[in-house]
Amino acid sequence: MAPGPPPESAAKRYRPNAYVSLPTELDPDTYDASPEKRRAEAERLAIRARLKRQYQLQLNNPNPPAVIENPALLRWVYARTQNVYPNFRPTPKTSFLGAVWAIGPILFWMAVFKADRDRKEKLIKEGKYKRPFSVC
Amino acid sequence: MMAAALRGVLCARAAAGLRAGRASAAAPPGARAASEMSKDMLPGPYPRTPEERAAAAKKYNMRVEDYQPYPDDGFGYGDYPMLPNKSQHERDPWYQWDQPDMRHNWGEPMHWDFDMYIRSRVDTSPTVVPWHTMRNHFLIFLSTMLIMFGLGEIYPSYRPVGPKQYPFNDLYLERGGDPNKEPPVVTHYEI
Repeated sequence: MAPGPPPESAAKRYRPNAYVSLPTELDPDTYDASPEKRRAEAERLAIRARLKRQYQLQLNNPNPPAVIENPALLRWVYARTQNVYPNFRPTPKTSFLGAVWAIGPILFWMAVFKADRDRKEKLIKEGKYKRPFSVC
Repeated sequence: MMAAALRGVLCARAAAGLRAGRASAAAPPGARAASEMSKDMLPGPYPRTPEERAAAAKKYNMRVEDYQPYPDDGFGYGDYPMLPNKSQHERDPWYQWDQPDMRHNWGEPMHWDFDMYIRSRVDTSPTVVPWHTMRNHFLIFLSTMLIMFGLGEIYPSYRPVGPKQYPFNDLYLERGGDPNKEPPVVTHYEI
């Protein structure tokens, strides 16, 4: 029995894609533990710790505020609602996409209904269409 | 005539007075309550200079190296940071999050599509089978089924059928035939 080529490992088939993340075993970002990366992680941890401290101080305050506002949440809401139009700019791409999504469906359904009506009219003129409601 | 003219003038003046009162009481467009955050803490336009980038990174509680805004394509993102497209499913379930159900810490910058990536919605965790394999299998199955259904519509194939045969001389008595008369003989076979 002649041996064939070795079977392709699952790792090669698991390519990066836009929909799911790579497993940690196959993700090259999790490999290196260079000093730069560790310093970056330490800085991120420091920011996280400061934020946690701020939150815990408010949470364990004996006279706590009624609502502990989350500025990240407020910024997220503001960015998605009130900050979109001021930063909108008509560019070729935005104009094209706007036309596709706004005018495209109207033209599409106009064409569909017209074609359907014409087909039905043709059938009625030829006498092949059975009218569902009586006209006399 | 004069009364009608006077009435018109009075009503117009009253209406104008009402409109002026309403305008002075209403806030000018674009105003926000003073209890909200100051303008420099809210998202703003795309950062152009390195100082603006540093200020935006500080505003969003991120490192300057980590801060990457969306490209300035005019889509309305402004200076909001572009975070990796990972769902909350992938976050550590055993870490003590400030908001455990959302797996989110207070003050941490939220993804633009945060409400899509919560734990009851889109999941971007690594799959057991590679995604491209899954996609290929699904498309092969779907296209095979659709092609077979289409062929079945174009070339239908059924078992042969004939008209239904009724007993008792085509149900002569049940159809109201006279019981005194001799029913007409009906044979459904040919010999």
